[in-house]
Amino acid sequence: MQAAIKKRNLVTAALVAPAAAWLTVFLVLPFIAMLVFAFGERAPEGGYQAAFTFAQFANLPTRAAAFWNTLVLAPVGALLCLLVAYPVAYYLAVRANPRYRLILVSLVVVPFWTSLLVRTYAWMYILGSRGIPNLLAMIGIEDVRMLNTPGAVLLGIVYGYLPLMIMPIYVSLEKLDRRLLEASADLGARPVSTFFGVTLPLSLPGVMTGVALVTILLLGEYLIPQLLGGGKVFFIGNALVDLFLQSRNWPFGSAIAVTLVAVVVVVLMVAMRIAWKVAGTRQVDLV
Amino acid sequence: MTSASTNDIEFRSVAKRYGSVTAVSDINLAVPKGAFVALLGPSGCGKTTCLRMIGGFEQPSEGAVYIGGQPMNGVPAYRRPVNMVFQQYALFPHLDVERNVAYGLKQMRPRIATAEITRRAQEALEMVRLGGFGKRRIHEMSGGQQQRVALARAIVNKPKVLLLDEPLAALDKKLRTAMQIELQSLQRELGITFVLVTHDQEEALSMSDLVCVMSTGRIVQIGPPQEIYDRPASLFVADFVGKTNRIPATVEAGANSLRLANGVGLAKPANANGTVGTAMVALRPEAISLVRDGAATLQGTVTHRIFLGSSVEYSVEVDGLGDFLVTADRRSLNESDLAEPGERVGLSFDPNALHVFPA
Amino acid sequence: MTKWYRENAPITADKLADELMRLKRGSVTRRHFLGVTGLGLAAAVFARQPGLFNSAAFAGDLGTQMSIATWPNYHDPATFEAFTAATGVAVEVNVFGSNEEMLAKLQAGGTGWDLFVPTNYTISTYVKLGLIDELDMSKLPNYDASTENPRFTNEGIVDGKTYAVPKNWGTTGIAVNSSKIKAPVTSWKEFFDVAMTEADGRAMVHDYQLTTIGNALVSLGYSFNSVKPDELAKAEELLIKVKPHLYAINSDYQPSMRATDAWMTMCWTNDGAQLNRDMPEIQFVLGKDGGEIWSDFYAIPKSAANKAAGYALLNYLMTPENAVKEHIANGAPTTDSRVLKLLPPEVTSNKIVYPDEAALTPLEFGAAVTLTDPGRAELMARFKSA
Repeated sequence: MQAAIKKRNLVTAALVAPAAAWLTVFLVLPFIAMLVFAFGERAPEGGYQAAFTFAQFANLPTRAAAFWNTLVLAPVGALLCLLVAYPVAYYLAVRANPRYRLILVSLVVVPFWTSLLVRTYAWMYILGSRGIPNLLAMIGIEDVRMLNTPGAVLLGIVYGYLPLMIMPIYVSLEKLDRRLLEASADLGARPVSTFFGVTLPLSLPGVMTGVALVTILLLGEYLIPQLLGGGKVFFIGNALVDLFLQSRNWPFGSAIAVTLVAVVVVVLMVAMRIAWKVAGTRQVDLV
Repeated sequence: MTSASTNDIEFRSVAKRYGSVTAVSDINLAVPKGAFVALLGPSGCGKTTCLRMIGGFEQPSEGAVYIGGQPMNGVPAYRRPVNMVFQQYALFPHLDVERNVAYGLKQMRPRIATAEITRRAQEALEMVRLGGFGKRRIHEMSGGQQQRVALARAIVNKPKVLLLDEPLAALDKKLRTAMQIELQSLQRELGITFVLVTHDQEEALSMSDLVCVMSTGRIVQIGPPQEIYDRPASLFVADFVGKTNRIPATVEAGANSLRLANGVGLAKPANANGTVGTAMVALRPEAISLVRDGAATLQGTVTHRIFLGSSVEYSVEVDGLGDFLVTADRRSLNESDLAEPGERVGLSFDPNALHVFPA
Repeated sequence: MTKWYRENAPITADKLADELMRLKRGSVTRRHFLGVTGLGLAAAVFARQPGLFNSAAFAGDLGTQMSIATWPNYHDPATFEAFTAATGVAVEVNVFGSNEEMLAKLQAGGTGWDLFVPTNYTISTYVKLGLIDELDMSKLPNYDASTENPRFTNEGIVDGKTYAVPKNWGTTGIAVNSSKIKAPVTSWKEFFDVAMTEADGRAMVHDYQLTTIGNALVSLGYSFNSVKPDELAKAEELLIKVKPHLYAINSDYQPSMRATDAWMTMCWTNDGAQLNRDMPEIQFVLGKDGGEIWSDFYAIPKSAANKAAGYALLNYLMTPENAVKEHIANGAPTTDSRVLKLLPPEVTSNKIVYPDEAALTPLEFGAAVTLTDPGRAELMARFKSA
């Protein structure tokens, strides 16, 4: 009996060990290093030298614009993504012929098999002078500039993150009990009322998951603004790249990264709380 | 239209097909105002399809469904003056009990004042004896309570017709019996038409005042419960509604007699339905009495005895006819009268209790 | 994985990226782009793993493996293959997006590089931090100081000791699409003026503090390398005023210029030559008010694991017959008169690659101080985040 328990504990330990080791080596230790750096100083030639100072955190306001851009871009981008993704997910889960559903869903996922970099580059050509502006020139609208505009950045974000938004919403809509929609219609609700009264609230956990996921990833985004925004719009991600790879100010970069992690945790907690509150009522579906 | 004043629901030559599959066809049915009608049949017989055509979730492929004298073809579910209690209830999990009940009221146009909505929702909850439960979450309610929430939600809009899709199927037997009585009294109280779909013949017989038996997409018999039970229109009905012993037999043309498969001849019964030639005879188990009389029409050996409290069921191996089921009322028996397995017995019955159908 | 499998395998992600870059070759000095995308960290092993009894006299001393850190599309791949064939040493090539990034890597340690290609203004910092070795010239018999232009070799000499030898040199000028812009652009002052008027929304500056801040300083009449706070403040004012009119802040300007999305940009010599070769309406001019002249060097990290191979490859690259192929491949001008003699006349007569001495006079080499000055780094961050 004792031996059996001991054995089971050993098995558990063996199962958990790789994940624990992985997390320790690649997540906990780097984070500790980052925390230590954040309270240090930049060496004269760049890098890190030991110190204990809050100067890096005091310096955060110099990147206020980057924080502001990021904190606005992330939710706005996520919401735009949501506006585009919801009808797609709704069509896939509710309207599409079940026979073709799997094919349609995989069409949403297939672009993920190509690197985001390559796909974003494709957009550079589509939006650049040889792309859409060239077509517009053919009908007499000359010198339209689409690339390196805020609109191009938003387009790139919506395009790049769409599958991440569609999938969780699709999943929550797909397990939506169709009889609830019939019950709503039976009680006199027009299709629009049914959507806002039943479909939307019950897909909220998927919506929250998608919004949280996309928002968090957008908080660290730097590639799309760089490539489609011409580097004129500065995000936290861009600030970090510059600080670590150009000016080699590791302590300040670490302080920004730590602050960003803190922001992500807060965003995540708020999102979880809302999702949990909504999802609490769904237990009836699960049993 | 004369039917408008007397019939709440009418099916006129309705058929429903899904591609090449015919779900129901040739459905003609008139449900008088204030009736409690049961659509009864085995699963796949088309009863739920009929109910869904009344509700507006399916459109007939042929013919038309009338509600209150109005043809409903093309009218969506949300414009129909009927409400439904769904199988497994289909309650909104994201709303509390009161909001579930108030859902229909909130859809009314012109809008109803919030206070009025609350009052009416409370009233409906009182009616199903869930007065204090308005703020509960759905998943906090038991199956029986959920059933009543579904009922309150469906009656709060004061529909012309209430549709019930196997409403008691998910409840245990005791609760089911209690709810049967409750539903009946509710129907009397509201005075509106109830259409019940069920596969449980006992439920159909006990609750409704009109039973519509369906089989393979068609209506096979419509009538009051007693008529359905006592005068089944077909062997299927006799079999499906209640228990029946089936006896192969021959009706001799001209001669006024019936010959059972074991050679026993009987006077042709009143319920012969004009059958001639090879036939199947149905005999209810409770129409048979076991007698210790070697001169009885049929003789056999008791193989099993099942004591059911108020009655006793026997399995009797009848000479030349095989197994028979016989139900004996307990009151007509003394303890010592109970036949023992292995005992030779005679079976006596009134020939008019026989129903003869073409084989 | 055997060679057979590798060659017969369906296209891999690495290969795909490789092909993509190849497709875009001839349009690139995308140091910045690679830095930004992290693609610069992708390493490619040129040449086969050497066999057991492979050729070469040095084989015993040189090992079988070495590593070089350099810029993308900066070498002729055939050079490394030929080196491997001759010595049996396989060369791993790491490409980078910026000098700052190279410095960051070496500071962090554990690079494994045996040779790398820093730009002139970083060398004294590498020496000061003790990250590179003084070169043992006896191991570089094919290098000839007497045929090198001292203007460039001097950048590799610190306190009389040679730490680095030049690979090639170049300038940072202005590329202008003359079919789109009619106003004259001959100086950095005119560059910034036109960027706010005729080229509104169509001009690009580098995402690189040295050139962007440096050229803004030059346009105001200050030194390219100034770190004086008041002069930097003026430059910052100008850059922030220009920013809303810019097409992009990006060092990967060739695609935009070729697509005519951008009409004018800060531009390095070899990019200017390539653009002009393919689209003659794009002209390359040096600012008459100043700007940058630069040279890239070869140096050996102190931490190199296989210094013998590092010297062997460097000596190989200093051989004029080998170096000339490199110059034809990447298009930047040479510092070595022996190589100059071997180059075809259509290369040496190209005024973009080999401008008149007078045009070079106002240009300045980047100064070491700009690499580490926190004021310039912060100015750049404020400009980008404005």
